[in-house]
Amino acid sequence: MRKYQCLIIAVAAFAFVSFSVKAQNAAKYQLPKYAKFQLANGLTVYLMEKHTVPVISVSAIIPAGAVDDGSNAGLASLTAECLTCGTKDYTKKQIEEAFDFAGADYNTYGSKEFSGLSARLAVKDEDKLLPIIKEMLVDAAFNDSDFIKEKRRTLANLDQAKESPGQVITLYWDKFFYGNHAYGNVESGTVSSVTPITSVDLKIFYKTYYNPQGSAIALVGDFNTADMKKKMETLFGDWTKTNMPSTLTSNPTYNINIARVLLVNKDDAKETTLLIGTKGVARNNPDYIPLQVVNTIFGGRFTSWLNEELRVKSGLTYGASSYFDYKKNGGAFLISTHTANQTTAPTLEKTMEVVNRLQTLPIDDTTLMSAKNYMIGLFPPRFQSSNQLAGLLTGMFWYGYDESYINNFEANVNAVTVAKAEDIIHKYFPKDNLQFVLIGKSSDIKNIAAKYGAVTEVQIKDDIGKGF
Amino acid sequence: MFYKIRLGCFLFLLIGSRLCSQFNADGIKTFTLSNGMKFLVVPDNSIPNANMYLYFKVGSRNEYTGITGLSHFFEHMMFNGAKKYGPKQLDKTEEFNGGANNAYTTENVTVYTDWFPASKLELLFDIESDRIASLAFDSVMIESEREVVHSEWRTDLENSPWEPLSQAVVGVAFNQHPYHWPVIGYEDDIKNWKRSDLQKYFKTYYAPNNCIAVITGNITFDEVKNLADKYMAPIPGQTPPPPVHIVEPPQTGERTVMVRQDVATPYLLISYHVPATKDSDYYALDVLNAVLSTGNSSRLYAAIVDNKQLATNIFTDLPLSFDPFEFNVYAECADNVKATDVEAGIYEEIDKIKTSGITETELQKVKNQKLMDFYSQVETINGKSGAVGDYEVFYGDYKKLFEAPENYNKVTVDDIKRVANKYFKKSNRTVGVLQSNVED
Repeated sequence: MRKYQCLIIAVAAFAFVSFSVKAQNAAKYQLPKYAKFQLANGLTVYLMEKHTVPVISVSAIIPAGAVDDGSNAGLASLTAECLTCGTKDYTKKQIEEAFDFAGADYNTYGSKEFSGLSARLAVKDEDKLLPIIKEMLVDAAFNDSDFIKEKRRTLANLDQAKESPGQVITLYWDKFFYGNHAYGNVESGTVSSVTPITSVDLKIFYKTYYNPQGSAIALVGDFNTADMKKKMETLFGDWTKTNMPSTLTSNPTYNINIARVLLVNKDDAKETTLLIGTKGVARNNPDYIPLQVVNTIFGGRFTSWLNEELRVKSGLTYGASSYFDYKKNGGAFLISTHTANQTTAPTLEKTMEVVNRLQTLPIDDTTLMSAKNYMIGLFPPRFQSSNQLAGLLTGMFWYGYDESYINNFEANVNAVTVAKAEDIIHKYFPKDNLQFVLIGKSSDIKNIAAKYGAVTEVQIKDDIGKGF
Repeated sequence: MFYKIRLGCFLFLLIGSRLCSQFNADGIKTFTLSNGMKFLVVPDNSIPNANMYLYFKVGSRNEYTGITGLSHFFEHMMFNGAKKYGPKQLDKTEEFNGGANNAYTTENVTVYTDWFPASKLELLFDIESDRIASLAFDSVMIESEREVVHSEWRTDLENSPWEPLSQAVVGVAFNQHPYHWPVIGYEDDIKNWKRSDLQKYFKTYYAPNNCIAVITGNITFDEVKNLADKYMAPIPGQTPPPPVHIVEPPQTGERTVMVRQDVATPYLLISYHVPATKDSDYYALDVLNAVLSTGNSSRLYAAIVDNKQLATNIFTDLPLSFDPFEFNVYAECADNVKATDVEAGIYEEIDKIKTSGITETELQKVKNQKLMDFYSQVETINGKSGAVGDYEVFYGDYKKLFEAPENYNKVTVDDIKRVANKYFKKSNRTVGVLQSNVED
């Protein structure tokens, strides 16, 4: 029961009463110093000392994502899940007991472009737990009995996830939007793609893609850099370098020549869950910060134009937002909202009005300044915990940016002018041929959907990808 | 019920750690204005930001049939205009100044959270004092916001089978106490709240004497004190709200409830009545909570999810509460497993604890986990405000945060066995199942 709950928070203009209208400059934030080095086997290591609490946060990133699944959708994800199912020297039970007893957290995951491991442990337990983390990344066992259990849970979770349209709609979007490009691969897999996967498939995938070259590990916490460097060299120095497979190099092609609608029928739906979008950009786009500034105005915060129109003014929804889904070689721009079955039509109409308004109405100085202040003011709390910082470092590794992103953030945000914002809008924000994914009750909303593009209808109980 | 706040902060073994010099009871300064509004100030200059968390002691337990959900609706209305900052101006002003806000409502409290550059502290006092002193009740905004809440009600039900199941279970577990209805309220009440209901609620519950403010960040005690004197002190206190006088009678037999929804596998929720957070059994129950479901080595995960593969997911919770509430066990059944089989498996594990207790190793494990939870909370300014506020409001004194090590260390293996036997009884539980087929 919160005032607002959305993927992204985001803007607005206004007049206020007794406080001066000027840019913020109090929140200047610089990234703490860190060391970065590469082992002989190619593994990149980031170390950042942070002595606030006696803990260490770990973030590792491996170039093994759903893009590498081939015909076995879900393979990268299942492989990552099974890293915790036992290694050369530790059984699954030993791993769980060691971490749990120490009060440490650990998580392994597969995502679209990469897999990862994150952990948080007390300094006093580092010599006990870091070797286990090393084994999960380097010597996972994938024994059959634990794999079978994990796979069974994964299959059940695939069905359960569809009981939350908000949870699965991005999977439909990626498949619908990117089509046969690897970005269209369904990260979680589907029942029919996961069913035939064996532990042998996992072993082959692991051997192929879990390679020190192209991977990185970041540690942030209460340690001495020189000592930790030695430990990391000892721990990971023997990770054998193998031939790197050719990873994703192709840019996605975007099928946006016509407006299209994917309608996912859910017979018992009381509301329609929507994603509306078009082509976006890669994370390394030089306009990354100006894009964020404009998106803050459009749909990136509570007083954004989208949320103002759809929630605050009209009560059509609990929340509406927009965001760029940046990937390494491309991306999407997305508008996300939900509404009752019977208000699906006005919600779509209002959304399109706001989309058009961005292209036609100028951005005024006050609105722009508000967005900039908002981004700058709320920036430091995003990098306060060691977990946040470790994630930032591996993010820098993957997407190829450095600390200048943090250290120049304020200056770069403030450099965005009205003219630049207008350029950004015309260059990147949607004008026509939007793509729509609607999960809802087809009999109530099919005719409405047809007004927005060529409709493809599928059933939510079918595998994602079937019929489109 | 995922919207309820969960306690994740305990202070353990801090003696000897460098934290002592940075965050301890002495580092928190408090004062109370003559109108009864209490402030807790936690200086932290690690980032140039600050926050303000305002805890109002009002939630769905203060409602009655006809206005169920009003506390939560009121939370929304607090953003829809006051005397100085009219409709939409509050959010626009905060965001223009580099800040953001949110709020949440539970059965017990309504909490308003502001995050902002520390240099904007005075602005936040101006905004907050404006709406606490003189909230407007704009009729157009009321109707528009009513639809927003209706959408929230709908989307919660649409996206989690736990929502309808939790609502059904509290409805059966509590016959008389207002924990009987969901925080978001009944749909027909959502459609029915009146402007006058809001005005009455405002006068009764949004008085400064019903509020505790926690401010953490790059600020000083003197700054906060001066601003509180200037902006909050002039707001008059009110007669304290009437206490919630209804005490739920002891449950005298197992209750069950079945909910039909089209789901892949059944959802199971077992709920035991337990005392309020201030009760002396709370710490032992909280250790039991962790022993049962924190981590894959926990009793329930290891037995039900891993070994027997009866469920795909299992967890427990012990929400903070002013009045006796619930200890909940949640499970999602594995494919082709009946809810009754999962239920039997859970009772088998609970019975083991009732008979043989837990091991010293398990007890130490939980203490280690609590320490790590604590580190997570105190690492950020937002974690600190949440922990300090929760302890002050639910345990009755923020200093209890720093007494937690002692209180948890007092818990023995025998205590765990004793509370397991005392509360995990068949006659004290409500069992809810949500599944597709309810006719067999």
